[in-house]
Amino acid sequence: MASKIQSNLSIILILVIIFILAVLSFTVNNFASINNLQNILVQVAPIGIMTFGITFVMISGGIDISLPAIMATSSVISASFIAKTNNILLGSIMFLLVGGFLGLINGTAVAYLKMVPLVVTLSMMTVCMGIATAWTDGQSVGGLPEDFSLIFSGTTVIIAFIGIAILFGIFLKNSEYGRWLFYIGNNENTAIASGLPVKRAVCFTYVIAGFCAGMAGIINTAVLSSARASMGADSQILDIVTAAVIGGVSVKGGSGSILGAFLGAILIIIINNVLNLLGVSDYYTGLIKGLIIILAMGIDAARTRLFHFES
Amino acid sequence: MENGLTLEIHNLKKSFPGVQALKDVSISARDGEILGLIGVNGAGKSTLMNILGGVVIPDSGEILINGEIKRIKDPATAEKLGVAFIQQEIQLFENLTVQENIFIANLKKWRAFKNFPFLNLKSMAGEANNLLALLGCDIDVHSMVSDLAVGEQQMVQIARALSQGGKILLFDEPTSSLTLKEKQNLFKLIGKLKGSNVIIFYISHHLDEIFEICDRVVVLRDGGVAGEGRVEDISKDEIIRFMLGHEIEQSIEYRKQPHQKKVLEVRNLCGERYPKDVSFSLAKGEVLGIWGLLGSGRTELVRTILGLDKKKSGEVLFGENGELQSINPQNLYKHIGYLTEGRHFDGLFLNMPIWQNITSVFLKKFVTNKFKLLNEREEKQAAKHSISQVNVSAVSENMLVRKLSGGNQQKIAISKWFIKKPKILFLDEPTKGVDVGAKAEIQNLIFKMASEGVSFIIISSEIEEIMGLSDRIIVIHQGELVNELGTMQISKENLMKSVIGRN
Repeated sequence: MASKIQSNLSIILILVIIFILAVLSFTVNNFASINNLQNILVQVAPIGIMTFGITFVMISGGIDISLPAIMATSSVISASFIAKTNNILLGSIMFLLVGGFLGLINGTAVAYLKMVPLVVTLSMMTVCMGIATAWTDGQSVGGLPEDFSLIFSGTTVIIAFIGIAILFGIFLKNSEYGRWLFYIGNNENTAIASGLPVKRAVCFTYVIAGFCAGMAGIINTAVLSSARASMGADSQILDIVTAAVIGGVSVKGGSGSILGAFLGAILIIIINNVLNLLGVSDYYTGLIKGLIIILAMGIDAARTRLFHFES
Repeated sequence: MENGLTLEIHNLKKSFPGVQALKDVSISARDGEILGLIGVNGAGKSTLMNILGGVVIPDSGEILINGEIKRIKDPATAEKLGVAFIQQEIQLFENLTVQENIFIANLKKWRAFKNFPFLNLKSMAGEANNLLALLGCDIDVHSMVSDLAVGEQQMVQIARALSQGGKILLFDEPTSSLTLKEKQNLFKLIGKLKGSNVIIFYISHHLDEIFEICDRVVVLRDGGVAGEGRVEDISKDEIIRFMLGHEIEQSIEYRKQPHQKKVLEVRNLCGERYPKDVSFSLAKGEVLGIWGLLGSGRTELVRTILGLDKKKSGEVLFGENGELQSINPQNLYKHIGYLTEGRHFDGLFLNMPIWQNITSVFLKKFVTNKFKLLNEREEKQAAKHSISQVNVSAVSENMLVRKLSGGNQQKIAISKWFIKKPKILFLDEPTKGVDVGAKAEIQNLIFKMASEGVSFIIISSEIEEIMGLSDRIIVIHQGELVNELGTMQISKENLMKSVIGRN
């Protein structure tokens, strides 16, 4: 039944996205061009990949608000490495490793030291922004080889994004590990008494999330041809959480899907674009997105109620 | 009031999607009457109680209190009408103190000053102590509910219902988590209440309890009244016939003697508080009972063996062929199953379908193809097979566990371990909240599996149950193993003697 609600939700999201795109293609010149749609997908990719990461964390009942900050930190560190060594392959792996390592710290604190996820990742966010700013002295790290931006751009990014979505989607829904997360999010006590390796599984969700932040860092750095601390602006975490919640990931844990997260991320970026096209000022953009989050939470709450009382 | 309180229920009907939970139920009761309500799981007892408690609205029918038609549209109305509902599952605020829980419904009354939201904790404590003393239990009213044993929590729940000054008291399986002593106190109290103008509904699966305290018994079956009568005029067999619609099959399973081979040995096990220096062993195919009062450390003993509670010292050894080897909890877990005491707390994933609950304990088995993915079709088949073994009168394996009746939930919580083919099953209160039919089924299943070589460690508060099931019983008191009774020595007297007199 849970999956039925999930797939209904995905259909609704797809319809909403198509509706908005249709309206825009009639009202905005060249909106429906392949080029522009491709641009949108490239924009979605970093937020989308981080949304996948947070989906794993949230399904098991946690939250990770440090993702954009981890993304920025892994970017500035790895970008300086690449600028110095010109080694794109090693540098790209470094993005992932730094992200994964920072995630491991989050995961250890939450799963093994029993600290509260919100507090742990809030601290991690501050620490990471500190590291990223100190590392770069507030400047941007440039001087990257041109190839880096060429490799991680346009079609490659889109293919990678969709590929990752499919892989993660199968991993979450059909692997043993993925199922553990649903069990844990549903009732951690039962999961423990059933003999599941709860600590290890929870810890690993934060590693996955950190890893995703690293991937997002690669894309962002390639698009900007440089890395800087301000890449990890706080507003992104709102986009990420909103995308996840709109996509049907429950804030209370226990339900969600990668397809939902994928569609949620697309929707949130399109909304960003629409607000941009309409020339809405930044102040109001924040206000509107805040309202969307509250609306999404309300829908989440209503869905939970429906879920409990439906026939 | 002078004419006495009366309650009449006329032609109550209620259907939920897919089930007609109540079809035309009429019952009447008058003050001073204790009415036993009995029926198998899913017969409609809970629905009826929920209607009286204002939790569920009936589709049609009337409820008359003192001859007046009353519409009980929510729990608050029920409370105003004097209906107090003591539920089987503990529903308390864990992080509040005992006294706060008892008076939670009307904290305003306990303000120290009329217009300031400060509570007069002293007078609250006094009154809470009075109420608990009525029940004959001495819980510290300032302690947190989360620190209490389940039985004590149940007493707090009863005290809360009493504090609301109920006139119509609904007890839903109140004794399922009480110790013998607490149970007797409760019965004494119910006897006392009887004299004071109240109507008591008493739901239980224990016919003995019904005969002990009730005046009249109403048997529900399939949402209708199957039979009723005064307890003097009705026999146990008749009640069972009303409940099931047929005679119970007393299939006494043939039991092989347990093997001599040991599968488990516990040496000098010590936990943080309990257990204290416990040693015992378990043979293949043996059913070992752990008997002790609530709070004696019997659950902690099992949890420490399994590594769920911290072990301070001692050793656990396991062996499949009689050769015992020291084993750590992770590895031990591969060979065992553990039915926990609280099925909602840590026994089930309520918001997940039956099949996912069942396969949760042994997912590895369903990782089949080369990509290491789960085979959902096989999972569902295995689940279907598991639930057919325990006669879950559900339905499809896709149903959410939350939607099942308590007894069926319990069966799911037990049967999920079967797919793992465990060598040892630890069962904490295996038949809690299960009707007589299902209870016999579960007990037969235990015998059957034991003769196939599965060993059992069973904790039960029901003395008859643990006597009937066990080959051997160890007695736990304050975390220590104080007595061990072999087949020949198992008797009520011996068990009671082991714990009473020590208290």
